[in-house]
Amino acid sequence: MKTTFDTHTIELNPSDDGYNAIINGKTVNVQIVRAANGCMDLLIDGQRITAYVSSDMAKRWVTVDGGTSMLTKTSGAKQGVRHDHAGGLIAPMPGQIRSVSVGVGDAVKKGQTLLTMEAMKMEIRIQALKDGVVKSVSVAQGQTVEREQILIEMED
Amino acid sequence: MFKKILIANRGEIAIRIMRACRELGIKTVAVYSEADKNSQHVQFADEAILLGDAAPKDSYLNADKLIRAALDSKADAIHPGYGFLSENASFAAAVASAHLTFIGPSAASIRAMGDKAESKILMKKAGVPTVPGFEGLESFDEFKKAASEIGYPVLVKAAAGGGGKGMRVVNSENELSEAIESARREALNSFGDERLLIEKYLAEAHHIEIQVFGDKHGNLVHLFERECSVQRRHQKIIEESPSPLLTPELRARMGEAAVNAAKAVNYFNAGTVEFIFDPNPSSSLIPHPSSFYFLEMNTRLQVEHPVTELVTGLDLVHWQIRIAAGEKFPFTQDDIHQHGHAIECRVYAEDPATGFLPSTGKLLQFIEPRGPGIRVDSGFAAGDDVTHFYDPLLAKVIVHAENRETAIQRMQTALQDFIVHGVVTNIDYMRAVLETDDFKQGKVSTRWVEQNLESGSLFPQQQAVALHKLIAAALADVVFVGGKAQPAVSNETDPFNPWKQTGNYRN
Repeated sequence: MKTTFDTHTIELNPSDDGYNAIINGKTVNVQIVRAANGCMDLLIDGQRITAYVSSDMAKRWVTVDGGTSMLTKTSGAKQGVRHDHAGGLIAPMPGQIRSVSVGVGDAVKKGQTLLTMEAMKMEIRIQALKDGVVKSVSVAQGQTVEREQILIEMED
Repeated sequence: MFKKILIANRGEIAIRIMRACRELGIKTVAVYSEADKNSQHVQFADEAILLGDAAPKDSYLNADKLIRAALDSKADAIHPGYGFLSENASFAAAVASAHLTFIGPSAASIRAMGDKAESKILMKKAGVPTVPGFEGLESFDEFKKAASEIGYPVLVKAAAGGGGKGMRVVNSENELSEAIESARREALNSFGDERLLIEKYLAEAHHIEIQVFGDKHGNLVHLFERECSVQRRHQKIIEESPSPLLTPELRARMGEAAVNAAKAVNYFNAGTVEFIFDPNPSSSLIPHPSSFYFLEMNTRLQVEHPVTELVTGLDLVHWQIRIAAGEKFPFTQDDIHQHGHAIECRVYAEDPATGFLPSTGKLLQFIEPRGPGIRVDSGFAAGDDVTHFYDPLLAKVIVHAENRETAIQRMQTALQDFIVHGVVTNIDYMRAVLETDDFKQGKVSTRWVEQNLESGSLFPQQQAVALHKLIAAALADVVFVGGKAQPAVSNETDPFNPWKQTGNYRN
């Protein structure tokens, strides 16, 4: 699973004892010791780290070692969306459609959530990139989809 | 003793005063604006009264509503806290007229110290050193003559002023005319009073203040100093006691000067005499070869009062209430001592990277530090909204340790453990300040923040930590779905169990 925060892309893959995180071609081992209420005790390449994380839409507030940063998630829901694909919205990763909130002919606003899908225990919201009208909806609730499968097509 | 006190304030100071009331067995009445209806201070009080809209003039600055609320709730006294109406002589008088007790000094003392020009004249008479300068000037020629006599740089400031408004630094004669005009305009707009005074500008000065305390039986003591030189936009962010600059002789002289200042206005209750301290008193200031000069007196409890509480062991709010109720000090000056070292850091919802602009939003996490020698006076909790209506002070972290070095280390770890998500705070900035050699050596002057922000040298790059933050952020999306931890990805229920092997679990 790839996620991009601001300009940094990180890939998380499940491993035998946790996850392998790949950043800038470097792989580190991550184990979750404990996780509750926005606080995680982690072992990152054997180093014990306590991290506090809060989410507010695309914003992530992260504190490690007393230093706090606000990151903006620029992938996930938006990742894989091809701007040259005639307004089509495609699945960023394999998963299952959880809900579809629009139908053909609906006028939608930029940023409006059109459907939600679930992948790797994440809820991903597929949002309109600009104001427009729904031209077609190719998926239904409960359906599993492949990466880059077209979900919804839009027209101006 | 009072049976019920109305606290005419909000946030951390309202809660701090309510704690003292509870300890003394006094009921509390909170007041609040529409914007604060779910605030911590409202929850903390025995009863709460809505004042009105969020705008301060409709709520916390509305004297009539506050006095009405006190009468309706059958309170016998009003504690004004700091800010808002705490230094408003008319309010203090109106409270007394309503047969309520104002927990603070007399209206006459507040009035006398409220005017910078008047109070400066009073202080000169009382033999308290003041910054060389002149009051009561009108024509440009008078100002010009005064400025050249004092020697540039000079400061022109509003006689009715405060908070840096109507204040201009003038470096040479050709800047004087314009500075006077603009300071006058600002003074008129802010205070409805265009009178200015002119005095020597001390560029590398420190801000050192003396806490004074008087009962209504003529006893006046001082509770030593607080060094408050770490400031941004003329507002303090870090305070400590003792000051690393004072010798016992200077401390005694400043304490005596502060008591004399308070005596000159027949002061009782808690007050603070602020001094400008010149660490290198220059010969140019002869015939005033003092190293400290009276700046102003704050006729109220200060934000940074906990620093004094920790080093003296006295509870200032308890004593404010007991004195207002007519009690006498059971101690004299000789009974009061400084123990160890205390530092306070003010945690503000503001962004140091944008020139300390306030940051608003909902607090997603708010975890206060704790441990030996750590005190947190806070007015917020997770889930609270930080609005733009009021001062963005979230909490004060105050530490006490046996010496300054240990206190700095203790504060570093306390700030490191303070987790605030949802608004940007100055926590990381203050940690960087505490880390500098200038702070460690006590060399921070009141202009230090301004000078060091420009160079941008206080924001260290933390590459290794950035990597950990990215991993944590990415992982959180997997672990916390819908705000709950998913036990399935926690690979070990008891990671400390030596009988279990890790590494075999498949996700």
